[in-house]
Amino acid sequence: MDVVYYLVQNMLPVAMPLLLVALGGMFSERSGVINIALEGIMLFGAFFGALFVLSVQNSSIPPQWILLMGMTVAAISGLVYSLLLSFAAVNMKANQVITGTSLNMLIPALVLLFSKMSFNSDGITTNVNFYIREIPILGNIPIVGQLFFQRTYLTVMIGFIFLILSVFLLYKTRFGLRLRACGEHPHAADSVGINVYKMRYAGVSISGILAGMGGFFYSVGITDGNISGHTGVAGFGFLALAVMIFGQWQPLRIMLAALFFAFLRTLAYSVSLIPFLYRLGIDQNYYKMLPYVATMVVLALTSKKSRAPKAEGIPYDKSTR
Amino acid sequence: MANYIIEMLDITKEFPGIKANDDITLKLKKGEIHALLGENGAGKSTLMSVLFGLYQAETGVIKKNGEVVKINNPNDANALGIGMVHQHFKLVEIFTVLENIILGVEPTKKGLIEKSEARNRVIDLSEKYGLKVNPDAIIEDISVGMQQRVEILKMLYRDNEILIFDEPTAVLTPQEIKELLKIMRDLAEEGKSILFITHKLNEIMEIADRCTVLRKGRCVGTVDVDKTTKEELSRMMVGRDISFTIDKKRSQPGEKVLSVKQMTVASKTHKNNAVRNVSFDVHAGEIVCLAGIDGNGQTELVHALSGLDKMIQGEVTLCGEDISKASIRKRAISGMSHIPEDRHKHGLVLEYSLAENLVLQRYWQEAFQKNGFIRFRAVEQYAERLIESYDIRSGQGPKTVVRSMSGGNQQKAIVAREIDKDHELLVAVQPTRGLDVGAIEFIHKQLVGIRDAGKAVLLVSLELEEVMNLSDRILVMYEGEIVGELDPSTTTVQELGLYMAGAKRNKGEEAFNG
Amino acid sequence: MANKQEKSSKSIGIVKKITGSKGFSSLAAALMAILLGLIFGFLVMLIARPGSAVPGIRYVTLGGLGRIGDVFYFATPILMTGLAVGFAFKMGLFNIGASGQYTMGMFFALYAVFMLDLPDGLSWVVAILAGFVGGMVWGAIPGIFKALMNVNEVITSIMFNYIGMYLVDMLVLKNAAMYNPAMTRTRYIPSGAQIPALGIHGSNVNFGIVFAIIIAVVLYIVLEKTTFGYELKATGFNKHASEYAGMKGKRNIILTMSIAGGLAGVGGAFAILAPSAIVGSSMTYEPINIIATAGFNGIAVALLGNAHPIGIIFSATFISHIQRGGTLASLVGYKPEIIDVVVAVIIYFSAFAMIMNTGLGKFVKKRIEKDKKDLEIKEGSE
Repeated sequence: MDVVYYLVQNMLPVAMPLLLVALGGMFSERSGVINIALEGIMLFGAFFGALFVLSVQNSSIPPQWILLMGMTVAAISGLVYSLLLSFAAVNMKANQVITGTSLNMLIPALVLLFSKMSFNSDGITTNVNFYIREIPILGNIPIVGQLFFQRTYLTVMIGFIFLILSVFLLYKTRFGLRLRACGEHPHAADSVGINVYKMRYAGVSISGILAGMGGFFYSVGITDGNISGHTGVAGFGFLALAVMIFGQWQPLRIMLAALFFAFLRTLAYSVSLIPFLYRLGIDQNYYKMLPYVATMVVLALTSKKSRAPKAEGIPYDKSTR
Repeated sequence: MANYIIEMLDITKEFPGIKANDDITLKLKKGEIHALLGENGAGKSTLMSVLFGLYQAETGVIKKNGEVVKINNPNDANALGIGMVHQHFKLVEIFTVLENIILGVEPTKKGLIEKSEARNRVIDLSEKYGLKVNPDAIIEDISVGMQQRVEILKMLYRDNEILIFDEPTAVLTPQEIKELLKIMRDLAEEGKSILFITHKLNEIMEIADRCTVLRKGRCVGTVDVDKTTKEELSRMMVGRDISFTIDKKRSQPGEKVLSVKQMTVASKTHKNNAVRNVSFDVHAGEIVCLAGIDGNGQTELVHALSGLDKMIQGEVTLCGEDISKASIRKRAISGMSHIPEDRHKHGLVLEYSLAENLVLQRYWQEAFQKNGFIRFRAVEQYAERLIESYDIRSGQGPKTVVRSMSGGNQQKAIVAREIDKDHELLVAVQPTRGLDVGAIEFIHKQLVGIRDAGKAVLLVSLELEEVMNLSDRILVMYEGEIVGELDPSTTTVQELGLYMAGAKRNKGEEAFNG
Repeated sequence: MANKQEKSSKSIGIVKKITGSKGFSSLAAALMAILLGLIFGFLVMLIARPGSAVPGIRYVTLGGLGRIGDVFYFATPILMTGLAVGFAFKMGLFNIGASGQYTMGMFFALYAVFMLDLPDGLSWVVAILAGFVGGMVWGAIPGIFKALMNVNEVITSIMFNYIGMYLVDMLVLKNAAMYNPAMTRTRYIPSGAQIPALGIHGSNVNFGIVFAIIIAVVLYIVLEKTTFGYELKATGFNKHASEYAGMKGKRNIILTMSIAGGLAGVGGAFAILAPSAIVGSSMTYEPINIIATAGFNGIAVALLGNAHPIGIIFSATFISHIQRGGTLASLVGYKPEIIDVVVAVIIYFSAFAMIMNTGLGKFVKKRIEKDKKDLEIKEGSE
C-alpha cells in the first residue's frame, strides 16, 4: 500500500505540468492554431518564474506565497512569448509548425546565454523549499489524506483548480462556445458576427499563460525549483501535445491522459523502489522511453478515428469562401 | 403602389473579366415567395450575396421599405432583418442544434451561458412554423433536412423577416422537399418574405408567387407564376434557339467503347447517393453528352469512371475490359483520357512548367524516360509539337510556368495532353468553362475531330448551346438518375430544359442502354 | 505601335523574370531573415555586454573568414541534416525528426567501427553506410505511421527523437568497447577508421565535406532529372493532380522519409568519424540525454536554402560560418549560445519571410496579371 501512496504522491506533481500545458494546447488548437511552441513557452515561463524565486528567496516571504507569485510571473511571461506565435500565425498567416519550432529553438539558447553570462552556469538554481510534508487537517483523512494531501506540492491543487476552470470556460461560457466554433468552422463563426482573428489571439494567449505556468510547475515539482537551459523541460511540451491528442481535445480526458503518462514516467524513475519491478532487471532507460513509446502506440490506435478541430492549422482568410 | 419590402435597383456586380450581375432590378413584396430562376452562371447566387452583404455591388441601390440602406457585411444584413440559408450550410458539426442557433447571440447569466430560455424560444418557434428539430441533437448526426431546418431557425431566432434560400432543395430527398415547401408556405403566411434561388421549375410552379428570371447576368423579366407556364419559364431561362455554328457530319457510331452498368456512387455531402443505378453506353465515333444542372450527380459519375472515387456498386467496361476496380493509371493505359472538371485541382500542377504538365500522364513511358532519368529533349520536343498543333499560347514556350498562363491556354494544354494520348474514350467535363469564344471554338473543333476519327467521347456540360451543338446523343441527368435520352436534331432547347429541371422524364430503362 | 509594345513588354519581361523567378524571391527572403536575425543578435549583445557589442558582431559576421577550414568542418553535419529536412519538405513533409535520425546514424557508425573488425580505409566507408542505414530506419518510421496510419509526422518525429536519444544513450553506456566511463564519452576511434583529412593547415576538415557536397549534387540531380524527383515535387505541389496522374502517394511518402532519414544518419556518421584537434583523436559523443542540435540546425539550413540542395550547401556554410564567429565572440565575453539565438530568430523570420516575400510577390503578381490581361486583349483582337 505504501507503494501506491508513493506512486500517487510522486505522480501528481508530474501530471500537473502535463495537464496544464495540454489544456493550453487544447485552447489554442480549439481556436484553430496549432501550437508546437509549447515546449519553448514552458521553458520561458519556468525561467522567469525561477528568476523571480531567486530574487526573493532570501526575503521572509513564506514559500507558498513565493510559489503563487512566481506562478503569476511565469504565466505573464508565457503570455508575452505566445504573442510571437499569435502574430505570426494570425496576422502574417505564416506556417504554424515552422514558427513554433523556431520559438522552441530560441528559448534554450536565450536561457543558456543569459545563465552563462550572469551566473556562469547552465541555468538557475534556487533554494526555496516548496515541498509540503503534510497539509493540516486534510492530511489526516484516512487514505485520501495520504494520497493527495501529504508529501505534495501546492501545484497539484492549483492544477485541479485550473482544470475545473477550463471545463467551465470551454463549455459553459459564451467565449468557449465561440472559440470552439472558430476552430471547427471559422466561416460559420464569421457569418454570425464573431471576430475569428480576435478569438484565435485569445486561444493562443491562453495557451501561453497555461504553458508558462506549466513550465514553472515543472521546475517546482520535478526539478526542485531549478531550471537548466540544457535539459529544459525534457520534452514535456511535446508530451503535452500527445496528451492533448490522446485526450481528444477535451479537458477531462486530457486529465486522464496526463495521469496515465505521469504514472508511466514516475514508474520509470521509481524502479529501484518497487521490488517487483526491480527484480525484473530491465534497464532504466527503457522506462525512460516508455512515455514516448506509449504515446506512439496510442496515436497509432486512435489516429484513424481522431477528431481534431476541423479548421486547425489553416490560417483564416476572410476572402476565401 | 405595391408594398415592396426589399428593392434591389440597377445592381451591377463585376468580377475580373466578367459581369456577374448587369443592371438587375428585383423587387420583393412583403409576404410573398419570390423565386429567382436561371442556369448556372446566370448570376443568381451573386445577386443574393450582394443582398446579404457578402459582396458589394459596383452600382445600384438597395432599399428596405422604401428607404435606401447600405449592407456591407452579414451583420448589417442581419440588423435589417435579412437572413440567408446557404447552399453549403454554415453549421458547426460538433455543436448541438441549440448551440448552433444561439451562436453569436448567446443569452448569458452571470457570465455563463443560460440555455433554458433559449431552448424554450427555439421550441416555440419550431412548433409555430412546423420545423421539427431536436435541440440537443448533434449536427453531424442529424439528417440534411433537419440541418436545413436548423439554418432556418437561426434566421427566425434572430427575428429575420426577409429569408433568402440558396438552392434549398438541392440536397433533400423528395419527402424532405415536400416538407420544406410546406414550411416555406407557412412562413410566408406568417408575414415573412422569401427569396429563393432555384433551377427547378416544378417547385416554382408549386409555391412561388412571382419569379424573376436571370440569364447571363441580365434580368430577363419578372412574371406572376399563376399566369405563366413551365414552357415559358424554360424559354426565358435558356433564350431563343441557337443557330448551329458547328459544321458537323452525321455520326457513324461503331462498336461499344464504354459500357456502364448500374453504377451507384455515394455522395460526400449528403446521405443520398449521388449516382443511382445508372447505365449507359458510348460507342466509337459518337459524342454522348451528359446534360443537366450542376449537382445532379455528373461529378461523382465521372470521378467513378476515372477512378478518383469508388463505386458502391456497378460495372464499368472499357473496350471490353472490366476496369471497375482498376487503378487510375491502369484506366488511363487502357484507353481512357480525361479532361477534368477542376483543372487546377486535378488537371495541372500549377508550379510546374508547360512541358512538365504536358507529360503528366505519360512521364513514365519509355519515350520520356530512361532508367528513371527524364529525357528532357524528348519531353521538350513533344511539348513543342503540342504547342504548335494545338496553338497553346504561353510566354516562354515549353518552359513557361503554367500558373502564369491564361485559363484558356491552360485548358488547351490539358486538352492537348489528353487528346494526343493514345486513347479510345475521352471523358471531357465542362471543357470550355470560363473560356473565351476563340478557345471554345477551337476545343469544339478538336472534339468533333476525334469523334470523326472514330473515338468515343463522353461530354459533360452545363452549357445548353454546347450540348445541342456538339452531341450526337444527349443523356439528361437529374438527381442522380438518367431521366431522358434525346436526339439533338429532333429536340428543342426548351424540351431539354424541362428534362434538366426535372419536369419531364422518359419512361423505361431500355432507352438508356444504347 | 507594335514595336513599342514589344519593347516595353520585353523589359517588363526581363524584370519579371528576375524578380518573379523563384531563386530571386527566396534569396531576398533569406537575406531579409538573416539580416533580422543578426540585428536581433546585436541587440541581445548590446543588452548583455554593451561595451563588447560591436567587436562581438564583427566577430560573428566576419570571424569565420579566418577559419575557412573549420567552417567547412562544422558545416558537414548540418549540411546533411539540412538535406534531410529539405528533401522531405519538397514533398510537403516536415522532418522534425532529423535529430533522432542523426543520432541513430551516429550510433550505427560507431557500432560499425568498434564492433566489426574491418581493415583501415574500409572501416570508415562501412561506417558511413551503416550510418545511412540507421538513419533510414529511423526516418522510415514516421513515414510509415503517416502513410498507413495517418498519424501526423511532426509528433511521430518528435517522439522518436526522444526514443532514439534514450535508446542510443543506453546502448552506448552499456557498450564497453564504445564507451569510456572515465571521460563520460565515447572513445576515440582509431585513425584508420576516421575519414581522411584534406590536409588543410590548421584545421581538421576532411573528405566528409566533399562527400556531403557530392551527395547534395546527387540529390539535386534526382530532384530535377529523374522521374522520382518529378513525382516527389508534383506531390508536394498538388496532391490531387498527382493522385490523378497515377502516382503512388503512400509509397512515395515512406520512400521519401526513409531517404531523408538516411541523409541525416550519414550526417551523424560524418560527424562522429571526423578527426579532431589532438592528433589521433576524433569527435566524441556524450550520452547525456540531450537531443542533437544538428537536427534543429538542419531545419534552419533547409529553410534558408529554400529546400533546394544547392541552396542548402550555401546556407549550411553560412550557418557554420556564423557559428565559428560565435565561438570567436567568446573572446570578448559572449557565450557561443548567442549564435543559437541568431539562428532561431532567422528561422522565425524566414517562416514569414515567405509571406513578406509574397508582399513583394503580390506586387510582382499584380504586374503579371496586368500584362496577362493586356496579352489576352491582344489575343482576342487578333
